Amino acid sequence: MEQFKKKFLEEANDLINSLEDSLLILEEKPTEKKIIEEVFRVMHSLKGGSSMFGFAKMDAFTHELETIYDMIRSGTLSVTREILDITLAAVDHLKVLLENGEEISETQQNNQNILLSRIHKIINKDAQEEITADTATSNVAAHKESEDKSKVYEKVPTYFIAIKPEEDIFRNGTNPMLLIDELHTLGHCKAFVKTSRLPSFEQLDPEKAFFYWEVFLATDKSIDEIKDVFIFVEDVCNVTISRIADDNLLAKTVFIRELDNFIEPVKETGQSELEAFVAKLKYNEPSLQEEGLSFRADEAAPMKRLSINNIRVSSEKLDDLMNLVSELVTVQASLSLFADNQDNPELAAISESIEKISRQLRDNTFEICLIPIETIMIRFKRLVRDLSNELDKEIQFTTEGTETELDKSIIDGLSEPLMHIFRNAIDHGIEPAEDRLAKGKPRKGKIAFKSYYSGTNVYIQVKDDGRGIDVEKIRQKAIARGFISPEANLSYKELLNLVFLPGFSTAAKVSEVSGRGVGLDVVVKKINDIRGDVEIESQLGVGTTFTIKLPLTLSIIDGLLVKIDKTFFVLPLSSVDKCFEVQDDALVKSFNNKIVLDGKQVPFINLRKEFDIHDNKPILHQIIQVNHDDFKIGLSVDTVIGEYQAVLKPLGRMFKDLEIVSGATILGDGTIALVLDPARVINTFDRETLERREKLYRENHRKDIQLHAGY
Amino acid sequence: MEKTIVIVDDSESIREVVGFTLNNAGHKVLSAVDGQDALRFFNGEKIDLVVTDLHMPVMDGIELIREIRNKDDYKFVPILFLTTESQQAKKMEAKEAGATGWIVKPFVPEKLLAAISKVVR
Repeated sequence: MEQFKKKFLEEANDLINSLEDSLLILEEKPTEKKIIEEVFRVMHSLKGGSSMFGFAKMDAFTHELETIYDMIRSGTLSVTREILDITLAAVDHLKVLLENGEEISETQQNNQNILLSRIHKIINKDAQEEITADTATSNVAAHKESEDKSKVYEKVPTYFIAIKPEEDIFRNGTNPMLLIDELHTLGHCKAFVKTSRLPSFEQLDPEKAFFYWEVFLATDKSIDEIKDVFIFVEDVCNVTISRIADDNLLAKTVFIRELDNFIEPVKETGQSELEAFVAKLKYNEPSLQEEGLSFRADEAAPMKRLSINNIRVSSEKLDDLMNLVSELVTVQASLSLFADNQDNPELAAISESIEKISRQLRDNTFEICLIPIETIMIRFKRLVRDLSNELDKEIQFTTEGTETELDKSIIDGLSEPLMHIFRNAIDHGIEPAEDRLAKGKPRKGKIAFKSYYSGTNVYIQVKDDGRGIDVEKIRQKAIARGFISPEANLSYKELLNLVFLPGFSTAAKVSEVSGRGVGLDVVVKKINDIRGDVEIESQLGVGTTFTIKLPLTLSIIDGLLVKIDKTFFVLPLSSVDKCFEVQDDALVKSFNNKIVLDGKQVPFINLRKEFDIHDNKPILHQIIQVNHDDFKIGLSVDTVIGEYQAVLKPLGRMFKDLEIVSGATILGDGTIALVLDPARVINTFDRETLERREKLYRENHRKDIQLHAGY
Repeated sequence: MEKTIVIVDDSESIREVVGFTLNNAGHKVLSAVDGQDALRFFNGEKIDLVVTDLHMPVMDGIELIREIRNKDDYKFVPILFLTTESQQAKKMEAKEAGATGWIVKPFVPEKLLAAISKVVR
């Protein structure tokens, strides 16, 4: 049972999430029949499951909720704000119940009671006598096996049962013989078949029932329990049960002997005849001991596997799989290296197929680990709803591209920073309705969530049409806090980016919602932890946009293996555009750090210089042209070795501040290659890029900058 | 004796627990997530019993019962439906559609097997 319980909990979690989602839709379309049905169905499933797996509290709770939605469904009740509020609160409580099982604290129990009483109020208000809710529905316990099988049947009463099925009884899939069989399991039993209704063979319709039965049953079961046998056939079968003796007639040999003569197969036995017959034979002979009946289902039957389309796997197993694949890729790299050095064509062929297979395995494993962003969206929809209620703001929340898939571990790391961004947008971004109207904006604020693929990256955008960020305020605050000097001449972008500094918070007053002393710096840190980047764009009075750029996956990347002197580096293949070969002269004599590639001037970074490597300077350099934002930029290295699957390993604590390197990877021969993050390399070493982007930005936003940044 | 039993429920946990119980009792179990899904099993193969939930998306239990009763090969197959104590009206509707019997949720495995032994053996 435990394993099913666990499965149920997982399932209940899903159900509750989908419930929350449906409820939020319901709020917008309170009359949508389909959604109401959906909500009811989820409640129903939750109730069914929870009672089945022994979650009595949850069962009782969902039972009441189900009642409400049943009433809404049937039209006795309509969806109101109050109901939705209670239901959502109830959903929260259900989550608590799921988490803690049946052991909940006193306050939580209190919560449950309060909620229950509010639910009752709703139910009773609108349908006075409708439901007599007995909360303790789960009386599964009333299921005790009669343990004393070897009971002496002498003392038990005898019943006479006449069973007359209607002709059409087969239509319901009922087999009346099974009823007779079942009676045999109740006690000492003797059945007689009656054939008087049987037509001649020519007229016999094999799809109809013609027999009926008379049964003598000696049992210690109550008459209700005997009736239970016929519970499914009440309306298609005429059953009469009468008690004909207080002791077991069937244990008396005289009775048995006489019975065969007494019962006629073609004639119904009359009640009075029977009574007379029983009276005559009663107390005539000592009874015989009867053997107890025992019936057991075959328990040793083998368990069978069924074919399933979807399976649930614990995320730990996936992580393990991922790690194993990483190991495999590393080992495979050693194998290829070894094979290359052996000059053995057979070995080379094997090594090549292994490389191919491990690549496929890697891609498949990645795919398994991808989950859609949708899975965390419900949380945010809920957050927006609750917060906007709490802060008395009207907000319309739209989502786009939530089917975009990301690695599980990235999604995990994403929800906290996103939460923060949303809080910010609702609390600081969107203005109260009156302010908005005064500014000539629509009454309802807008928060748009959008995610999309671009190359091997996923972009996530949260955009609000609120008040935007006042860079002048930021500047003053930064000066006050000592982050910048009053003379500092910062660009609009740089000013905006100040909000990501630790300990920077622009809100004038600390609010409960977002100003909890945790600044946007935490967002940046969390996103960086999953190798992502955050960008902020804002226009005063128009709104703010946060853009998060994320890698599709974390642990293995396709890279370009390059070498400078004796050190290996890996550049993510996703950002590599082209490779060029240039003379050393061209680099040395380059003007303004630009070099002509493909007939265009391209800025470049001489990595030898930046990394302080001076030995073994080659005559020919390789320039790797990488895409950075909308620009191309060259990185110079000594040699290009080739494509390489790099298993990313963290560098360890000592190097955690080394931004330009996103990790290390072990090559086939055991040497270590550093995996470079081109974006960071460029941002660190190339002031020009920053300046150029600035120029572009300035052109676009000239007006704002003049107004707010004092240009 | 081994029976082929179709179980239809949109809840995976219910399917699993019912399936597990029946497997252990030596039966062959075919599971489906809704009525529509269940109908694919009625392709001429022998089916001894159907256990279905009533509330399901796409095609609910009542409709499934009607569909099965309309098939010449399967019109006498016993059909049990899962129900809760509170659903009297639904119960009648299901019986009228041609259901053989019902199993009241919540149930323990023994109760499930007991109900099944009432209609198929």
